Amino acid sequence: MIAQILRCGVLLALAAPALFLAVLALPSFLGWPWSESRVGLLTRTAFLASFGAVAAAGLAYAAGARAPVIIHLGGWFSKDDGFSFDLLVDGWSLGFAALSIGICGVVSSFSFRYLHREPGFNRYFVLLVCFVGGLLLVALAGSVEVLFAGWELLGLSSALLVAFFHERPAPVDNGFRVLAFYRIGDACMLSAAVLLHHWAGSDSLSLLFSGGASHLSRLGADHVVAIAVLLIAAAAAKSALLPFSTWLPRAMEGPTPSSAVYYGALSIHAGCFLLLRASALVQYSATTRGLTAAAGLATAGYAALSGRAQTDVKSKLCFASLTQVGIIVVEIALGWNTLAFLHMIGNICLRLLQFLSAPNILHDLHQLENDLGGSLAAAEEPPAAWGGALYLFALERGFLDGLLDRWLAEPLERLAAALESLDRRLCRIPAVFFARGGDVG
Amino acid sequence: MSASRLLWTAALAALPGAVLAAYALGARGRRLYALAAAAAGLLTVVAAAPLALEFFRPMGSGPGNFFLLSTVLVPFAALLWLMTVVTTPSARLDDAGLARTAAACLLGMAAFLTAAPAALVLIWIATSAILAAGHLEPRFEAARRVIFSHLGLSTILLVAGAALAAWARGRGDAAPEQWGLALILSAVVVRKGIFPFHAWIPEIFDQGRIGPAVLFNAPQLGAYAALVLAVPYANPALLKTAAGLALVTAVYGSFMALYQADARRACGYLFVSQSALVIAGLELPGRGALVGALLLWVCSGVALAGLSRAVLALEARRGRLRLDVRHGGYERMPLLAVSFLIMGLAVANFPGTLGFIGGEMLARGAVNSFPGLGLFAVAAVAMSGLAAIRMYFSLFCGRKDSGAHLRMGRAESLGFAAAALVLLGFGLAPGGLTRVLSRASAALISSREVRSR
Repeated sequence: MIAQILRCGVLLALAAPALFLAVLALPSFLGWPWSESRVGLLTRTAFLASFGAVAAAGLAYAAGARAPVIIHLGGWFSKDDGFSFDLLVDGWSLGFAALSIGICGVVSSFSFRYLHREPGFNRYFVLLVCFVGGLLLVALAGSVEVLFAGWELLGLSSALLVAFFHERPAPVDNGFRVLAFYRIGDACMLSAAVLLHHWAGSDSLSLLFSGGASHLSRLGADHVVAIAVLLIAAAAAKSALLPFSTWLPRAMEGPTPSSAVYYGALSIHAGCFLLLRASALVQYSATTRGLTAAAGLATAGYAALSGRAQTDVKSKLCFASLTQVGIIVVEIALGWNTLAFLHMIGNICLRLLQFLSAPNILHDLHQLENDLGGSLAAAEEPPAAWGGALYLFALERGFLDGLLDRWLAEPLERLAAALESLDRRLCRIPAVFFARGGDVG
Repeated sequence: MSASRLLWTAALAALPGAVLAAYALGARGRRLYALAAAAAGLLTVVAAAPLALEFFRPMGSGPGNFFLLSTVLVPFAALLWLMTVVTTPSARLDDAGLARTAAACLLGMAAFLTAAPAALVLIWIATSAILAAGHLEPRFEAARRVIFSHLGLSTILLVAGAALAAWARGRGDAAPEQWGLALILSAVVVRKGIFPFHAWIPEIFDQGRIGPAVLFNAPQLGAYAALVLAVPYANPALLKTAAGLALVTAVYGSFMALYQADARRACGYLFVSQSALVIAGLELPGRGALVGALLLWVCSGVALAGLSRAVLALEARRGRLRLDVRHGGYERMPLLAVSFLIMGLAVANFPGTLGFIGGEMLARGAVNSFPGLGLFAVAAVAMSGLAAIRMYFSLFCGRKDSGAHLRMGRAESLGFAAAALVLLGFGLAPGGLTRVLSRASAALISSREVRSR
């Protein structure tokens, strides 16, 4: 009975956003969008149904054996095709799923007013529900395909929300840049999945997530390290760890509620959650532990420094969130998983609150001054001890954007231009035989 | 051949045949367009009927056979014809083009229904001639030279290779047969734009006409010729070499697509990359890679034909499109924009589209054969997806466009939406199609094994 409730709860939690997505997206796609009030009703119903289902599953899990449960939903197209649709249910997955749905529900309620009469109202909610679906798949993934599907959904919805105000060039440019970083992470994750299948002959994430050293012994030591490094890179791209941090401030172009839920709260922690689930891999060797810790520590230092010098509230908040993400990653590298999970929940809730109240910050300060009966202290000046160079370094976010453009984007662009010129000449070589009087050029 | 299959084949031939006959008898303009659209729609339904029946047959029941592949590829050719006709903007309607499209569909279906080398060689020549016929005007002279030179070379290689292989097979001599097969694979390499013959495909998209270029590339007749004429008989080392070359081409094509400033050339490079992935999958050992390649064949054909036709539809309204500027217009044509995005996501093998399962099966097969080089398949897909989404951002976003002339016709919009829904529908429920292709692949693999013994 308990097992049935657990299974039904998890499936309903996934089905509710999927159904809502179909009901909302299809009419919009065909040119008959729902009214705002209908969208509101549908969204609330979907989030409440999904949250209730996860809560029921959580209670069933707590009342049961409290051991990880694998729900096997069969293959994608046949029973044993090697593409299994598996869900892994345990305390962490249910906790992260419930938190995700709860926070997205709060943000959707906030968004009804914030985006009232905005031309892309329906598009926003379609993307938000894609995001929730992606998060639930990541949280509950029991096979590589499910994890990858969720991971891709997160990335795409995120990039399209950064480019939400698509009639302006800057959000579109930044959306594309965010997507480019996410694609690097996606490629790393898919490579890890393919290599896992090649070396272990399995797609099951229980091998990596809940197995520990005994399960990993099916793989050679070098193979484990290779898969771990690829997963760490995937997590780093999603959580904006160094050297991928440069996309984070650019992602602030989207509507504030989406910035809150993506870059303040949930999306930026998705990489931490992946590392937490794959802690057996992270802890496998000194190399993987050291790599994780170094990425976390460097990111925390970089974000703390950059955040001090930012001049707008959303950038300050995103760097504050990133600082904590870096520390959480260090905690995971040290094996303090429970602390890391609690730290993650705390950071998610705090940053969500700060992001959502950011548009009111001037109003709140005036209210506070009125209540106090006097003006607050002046804005903090950068400490003189910093020196100009350090301040500039922090203000320019470590010059990462410039370095990336100079040492990666521009050389690749020049290479592509040279190759294109070569291609144009190459395809005309055989055409020489059909030219009249040497007029091929 | 059974009576029902004969009737089905006759119906398939009659529908594009009717359009060709009407053109020959002097039908022109809107009447010819209406006839072509009706015939293409009916053909898609007729062609898909056996496939729909196969969907309900479970995996283990009934032996697979070679013609199971036709059950998938024939409706695919019909769908490409339907897409081509309905998504053609009225400003670009061209009577001769409608006739060429019907002829290309007829030839494509004929090719997918036969395994006879002589018939395939003739169809190869005829489809090359159709592409050349679309570029007879003097303004396409540069493209015409490129087409003549490359397709001339590939045809010579194919004829020589097929003749040598058949002669050697008749004498039971293995060495000349392998030389013949190498020539056939070289012909495929040239026709499909595999490195070092990759450069001509973007060039004809750029300098020539996009419609005939799509008609030539999307059905992937070269891949079919490789699958039927060379793969079952060729030495594994030869196939592995060709597959490695194709994987390198896939990465190269997607990298170049990502950096193109011109929408047409980007489409051309995307075709190079995706075709190379399909060729790599067909030549790799193992059923997974083969099924993945067949799925990608259908997915990339529909998606890239849709993307290229969308570029054509936009060009009819805006002129030549550059990708280093933002064009805007999402609010004027959201259906086209979203369809374009979905087709781009299919190229990216995004979960929920038809490319997802195919791409991963292919990547697994590639890694099993080449643990290092196999990851090129992953890199190619990642970059192709990014290139397609860059095109979406550039063509539909980035500025407010108030031009009322940008509105799409109903048939055009529905054509693009239907292509997007096909990619999504088969992506969300890939079971039926994948089972059919899996059985077809089993038959192909067993024929390879029998011959290798």
